[in-house]
Amino acid sequence: MEVSDSHPPLAVEVHDLVRVFESAKRFRKPASQTTALDGITLSIPLGEVHGLLGPNGAGKTTLVKILSTVLLPTSGTAEVLGINVASEAREVRPLIGLVFGGERGLYPRITGRQNLRYWAALYRMPKVDAKRRTDVLLERVGLAERADDRVETYSRGMKQRLHLARGLIGDPKVLFLDEPTTGMDPLAALDFRALVRELNREGRTILLTTHDMAEAESVCERVTLIDRGRVIATESPRTLARWISRFERVDVQGADHQILSEIELLPGVSKVLRDGSGTARIETSSDDATAEVMKRLVESGVTSVRTSLPSLEEVYVRLIGDRGLVL
Amino acid sequence: MSAFWAALRFQLQLMRSNPDYLLDIATAPVYTVIFLSIVKHADRPDLIAHAVLAPALITLWWQSLMASGEVIDTDRYYGVLEPLLATPSSLHSIVLGRIAGVTLLSLVAFAESWLTARVLFGITVQISHPGWFAIALIATTAAMAGTSTIMAGLFVRTRTARTFQNSLSYPFFVLGGVMVPVALLPDWAETLSRVVFLSWSADLLRDSLAAAPVENPIGRVMIVLTLGIVGAALGKKLIDELLERVRGLGTLSQV
Repeated sequence: MEVSDSHPPLAVEVHDLVRVFESAKRFRKPASQTTALDGITLSIPLGEVHGLLGPNGAGKTTLVKILSTVLLPTSGTAEVLGINVASEAREVRPLIGLVFGGERGLYPRITGRQNLRYWAALYRMPKVDAKRRTDVLLERVGLAERADDRVETYSRGMKQRLHLARGLIGDPKVLFLDEPTTGMDPLAALDFRALVRELNREGRTILLTTHDMAEAESVCERVTLIDRGRVIATESPRTLARWISRFERVDVQGADHQILSEIELLPGVSKVLRDGSGTARIETSSDDATAEVMKRLVESGVTSVRTSLPSLEEVYVRLIGDRGLVL
Repeated sequence: MSAFWAALRFQLQLMRSNPDYLLDIATAPVYTVIFLSIVKHADRPDLIAHAVLAPALITLWWQSLMASGEVIDTDRYYGVLEPLLATPSSLHSIVLGRIAGVTLLSLVAFAESWLTARVLFGITVQISHPGWFAIALIATTAAMAGTSTIMAGLFVRTRTARTFQNSLSYPFFVLGGVMVPVALLPDWAETLSRVVFLSWSADLLRDSLAAAPVENPIGRVMIVLTLGIVGAALGKKLIDELLERVRGLGTLSQV
């Protein structure tokens, strides 16, 4: 791949990508169209862990399927490492790894080791290399001791780790992880995220789809929020949080009714939520409103005041709306 | 390792861990008993070779047909089809390798038939030309796997693959001359049967059992192999077309 000085090398570049699914016409029911991706444009530099965050039906999996060559776009272009995924799928495939979440995607009646050896061969790996890589990966994902047990006897977390090993078997430069921690217990999910960070340190580019805010926040350098097939924003989790820092919250205890009523009228204060026992949450909607609120509270003698920044989850809900919680 | 050999080896592993695959192979002795009983009752010792060979060929065809319908279907069921297509290997090579694995294992049916004839009927079927018999068997196995990929390309387009598999077996048992040599069929059927590799295979295998010299064995082996290659090429075209279609429609997981 030729790399110019002026542009950083890109692992993934998507431009105005559209994918429309058509349902067949059935008796008394006309054919219908569903737009899964509606003009997505996205760039992921080499070596980045990029999160794709959105509710179910947002288009995350459709985008991953297109990038991993198993689905064609309706229009627009998508490239992985500068290679067009639609017209040059064969050239893209040796460079990528694909991991879907859930329990499916493995052959349950054979062992974990046999599964991996088969996939290694499909990546045209010589037998000796396949054996070595299988052993290394089984060790790495913590399945070495159960490697010769049938996959059907594995727990969900173990299957997920085997999925990841399968995705890594071809030593991919770009790894697509589609909801990889679905169904994992919190501890296993933490281990999984540590592994993702480790893979990134090796220089791999990782595109991770998730609707778990904590996951995106903990491993992603940048996050793209998508909803209804459209990009809402692409930023670092921190920047996204800053965007709505103007929506900073001030939690206060012991403020009387009058001061809260005065604060409610201040410019930049969007809402004052009282719980009736002297505790209130003041939500602001402009950058300098918090300072003025704090000043008024301190002047009125209130000493228990706490401000907090929004979590990525709140960014997500703010930008997508209540639909973000309907997963 | 190429995708073909990897898939072949993998299919043998799958069958070892899943004995269901082997059930059909167990039917060969039953067919042998039926055919040999008929031949014996009719007092036609000249047809003994037919009666012993037919069950093995039936098993070979039946197993390949079943595998062709189920390889892609079970991969879809396990959710493996999409990651499989994202690998650098062609699906056709994988399907071909896996069907070859099934066909290879089905060769056990020949031993079963011979053993049934020996143990239950006291008949030993001589192989007068073992070299040609072995070559014919290898060519038949290869052609069987190649031709079965056509079926794989066709079966995955329908949700009623099992019905097609069942319906397709019997016409091919006739056109393939597995029990009744195609020379004895009506003219129109004989003409049709000549594009079915199994008819050439069955005749060649029977001739290699007989004491008389085998006529034009090289030419006949080449015809079996050519028909197998044509079948594999057609199967590749069908599977490639299917994949492009479902990549476009987005129905891969429903294949």
